[in-house]
Amino acid sequence: MKLFSLIENEVIKMISKKRLMFVLAILVVLISVFAYGQKQTLERTKAQLSQRMGITATDDWRKLADQQLIDMKNRLESPYRDEKDKSSLLVRMEQLQYNLDHNLNPLEQSAAKFSTKFMEQAIFLFLPLLIIMLAADMVSGESSSGTIKLLLVRNVPRWKILLSKYLTLIILEVIVLFFAFVLSVIISGFFFGFGGWFAPIATGFKVLAGKLDTSSVFNVPQWQYSLMVYSLAYFVAVVVGSISFMISILVKSTAASIGIIMSTLVAGNFISFFLTDWKITRYMFMVNLRLTDYLSGSFQPIEGMTMLFSITVLLGWTIASVIISFVYFTKQDILV
Amino acid sequence: MPQTAVLELTNLKKTIKGKEIVKGVNLTLYPSQIFGFLGPNGAGKTTTIRMIVGLIKPTEGSVTICGYSVAHDFVKALSNVGCIIESPDMYKYLTGMENLLQFAAMNKTVSQQRIKDVVEMVGLQHRVNDKVSTYSLGMRQRLGIAQAILARPKLLILDEPTNGLDPAGMTEFRNLIRKLAYEDGMSVFVSSHLLLEIQQMCDMVSIIKQGRVIKTANVQDILHDDWIEWQLNDPEQAIAILRNHWNIEALQLKKNTIRACLSQHPLDKINDQFIREGLALTYCSAKQNTLEDLFLDLTEGDEIV
Amino acid sequence: MFKKSMWYSIITIALVCFIVLSIGFYQAIMVTSKVSAQPSAKAQVPQVSEDSAKPSSKNATSFKILIMGDSIAKGTGDEKSKGFSSYLSEYFKNNTSKEILVDNVGIDGLGSLGLQEQLDSRRLDKTILDSDMILVSIGGNDLRSILSLNNLTKEDEFKVRLDNYLNNLKQTIKDLRTANPNSIVIFLGLYNPYEKATSVEDTRLLNTWNYDTQQLVEEDGKWIFIPTYDLMKYNLGRYIAKDGLHPNSAGYQALSNRISKSVEAIISNLSTQ
Ligand SMILES: Nc1ncnc2c1ncn2[C@@H]1O[C@H](COP(=O)(O)OP(=O)(O)OP(=O)(O)O)[C@@H](O)[C@H]1O
Ligand SMILES: [Mg+2]
Repeated sequence: MKLFSLIENEVIKMISKKRLMFVLAILVVLISVFAYGQKQTLERTKAQLSQRMGITATDDWRKLADQQLIDMKNRLESPYRDEKDKSSLLVRMEQLQYNLDHNLNPLEQSAAKFSTKFMEQAIFLFLPLLIIMLAADMVSGESSSGTIKLLLVRNVPRWKILLSKYLTLIILEVIVLFFAFVLSVIISGFFFGFGGWFAPIATGFKVLAGKLDTSSVFNVPQWQYSLMVYSLAYFVAVVVGSISFMISILVKSTAASIGIIMSTLVAGNFISFFLTDWKITRYMFMVNLRLTDYLSGSFQPIEGMTMLFSITVLLGWTIASVIISFVYFTKQDILV
Repeated sequence: MPQTAVLELTNLKKTIKGKEIVKGVNLTLYPSQIFGFLGPNGAGKTTTIRMIVGLIKPTEGSVTICGYSVAHDFVKALSNVGCIIESPDMYKYLTGMENLLQFAAMNKTVSQQRIKDVVEMVGLQHRVNDKVSTYSLGMRQRLGIAQAILARPKLLILDEPTNGLDPAGMTEFRNLIRKLAYEDGMSVFVSSHLLLEIQQMCDMVSIIKQGRVIKTANVQDILHDDWIEWQLNDPEQAIAILRNHWNIEALQLKKNTIRACLSQHPLDKINDQFIREGLALTYCSAKQNTLEDLFLDLTEGDEIV
Repeated sequence: MFKKSMWYSIITIALVCFIVLSIGFYQAIMVTSKVSAQPSAKAQVPQVSEDSAKPSSKNATSFKILIMGDSIAKGTGDEKSKGFSSYLSEYFKNNTSKEILVDNVGIDGLGSLGLQEQLDSRRLDKTILDSDMILVSIGGNDLRSILSLNNLTKEDEFKVRLDNYLNNLKQTIKDLRTANPNSIVIFLGLYNPYEKATSVEDTRLLNTWNYDTQQLVEEDGKWIFIPTYDLMKYNLGRYIAKDGLHPNSAGYQALSNRISKSVEAIISNLSTQ
């Protein structure tokens, strides 16, 4: 199968170019810094707590959890309780009960928690930047070095060459996600221990009539939650990768295409910050990247913005980018 | 020749950004032929070659390789082509061998043994495992030739292939091309500035100027033909006579000097006719010819556009 | 050859992960989009003792107390799960011969806006009308998040919050009065649960808050503002629960004691009527 060898060619080029190594090195550095920061924060929080409440013994959190559990049970039985709160209360209680049963201080970090949190933080800017570094070079790199000529005068149709590059990008995106996960687990494991994969995590938030709706919240084990987070991150990586890929075809210079797509991303963060009223902004891909927020319920509910909406918008951008890429690439004159 | 053409260009035209760069090129290349493509800078050689290999689409006209149209049967047409276009850009971060493996992977007919043979043919066996970024220009050129001939193409297209080769390298290269053409039956299409190269290497030559082929001829014929130079009072009329009566294209060199290649035509009868038509002949001589003369004559006085 | 083996590992990892991630992606969409995802399987609620007396029918022989507001009203933090509901009725027993009935509608985390919404829903109108005495604890959640701020905008933020809070409270006072023109209303002031981690600045803000609240509350003749600040200040170790925020059992008792002292005359009066 020729496509397979073409992809092999592309992957070998990527390995030799050291770009993949570079991306992984950045990951290692950033995760280490992030993990160290988390450790510091954790220690400071503990210090503050013990200062305020005189909690020094390590198992004091159990008393607190017991207390909270009792409170929540009371609340659950209160006739004046809001029906909507019921499931979120149940979910909180289940989590506390799990912490008590497994002697897990809810304040403590774990590799499972950390790796998930890391990706939740990385999904809208850091991960896209890594992907851009890979994707923006795939076609424009060959254009600026002139090697594109060598590639396109073979007895292989242009669309197949481009498809092999696109599939390579998809594969490398998996690899980046894979290493982001493995590295964050390993590095944070040294700081916080490797456990925590079965702790319950609340999810299932929805937006109803512009408000966060917690009535259908439920717990999933941490490993499943992490899986969902990384899957969404992968989707985001594919989206950003496709768009950078298109720009790298249109622009032909690696530096320019990296510049364009990065400034677009950063602008997106500004836009989502300042122009929330402006209806059209929600159709921009940059403001829809925080998919994991829909899982954790930690988003600012905006009327009409749901997981399905964001995914549809992102998918639209991806498909458009891919179509433009292929049409332009197969038609263009190579003059370098 | 009776065989089918390996490469056929019919009325090939290309306009880039409103400027017509190639203005209707017609060429035919037969098996085992070494075809030189000669022209001053900016004549449109590279542009023509890019159209041949499908890197750019002709505005008009067609390219046919071994009977397959490049526009409609790209894959089949390009199966028969190996080429270097302008500089031999390779993946600098790969070794020479890895570069060749890349191209071998795109064409299943290439075996490991073939790669080794080709490396030896171009004389790179000692450096093939070094990164290309450490190569000299000549070594890159050799690697470029290696990747072009890797898949035993029927048509080898080389755009300024001897750029950067040392004299020994050039001789080697010439011998290699000859061997490929006469032993392996490849047709070779070489564009070059180096007239001597073309003269020593090619069977046929086309001279292109400002996007137009102004002469296509057998190299030996050109070289063995004597040129006749006349000095006379009315060059325009003389050129017209040569064209109309003898079917000879003549060139005006100076104010009243013209030059033409007569082949088999008898000089005395032509001179007779000139006199009959009332021209005043002041001087007439035969000249031994080189391609360089021809080239300079043909392209004289033109600026690069 | 090293690159070759790297390529094979990459393509293997990529294929496996791709399948796993696809499954995860499908789940993520389901979890956030499906209308009813599977309910939490393990969520069983162990029964605990009841702490609030069930509301009973209107009776001339009963004295009804309605406790409303935030977690302090609800009794959060009391390790015995009693809170004001129990302690107040215990103390009031000495002052009245009537049966004491307590309704507790406190909600954890409620702010002044939430309380107002609760009233707006009108579900409490009947209960309010039936009450002889109402205990309100509100404002802690409005103020709390500001105190932990540490920046230049703190002062401005405080003013905005205080204004909002006072507006809400004004409306609440009006609504309560409309729903029940006669009942006495006890309003609990705020205390500072943070022992050392408090600046002079924060203390000043808290005092302003309490002062303005008291001004507003006591415009209505039947409202009484009970300060808690002084009671808790030097007793944090004794009166604050493990969560560092709410009173513990002893704290609730002390507060109840203070409340009962303040209103015992009125209770006796009411009872003898
Ligand atoms: N991308 C382009 N845009 C506009 N004009 C171009 C472009 N590429 C080439 N040309 C023009 O086309 C003409 C022919 O260029 P081409 O590269 O074919 O010349 P050439 O015969 O290969 O010259 P040389 O001997 O210098 O290699 C030149 O006048 C050049 O200016
Ligand atoms: Mg050229």
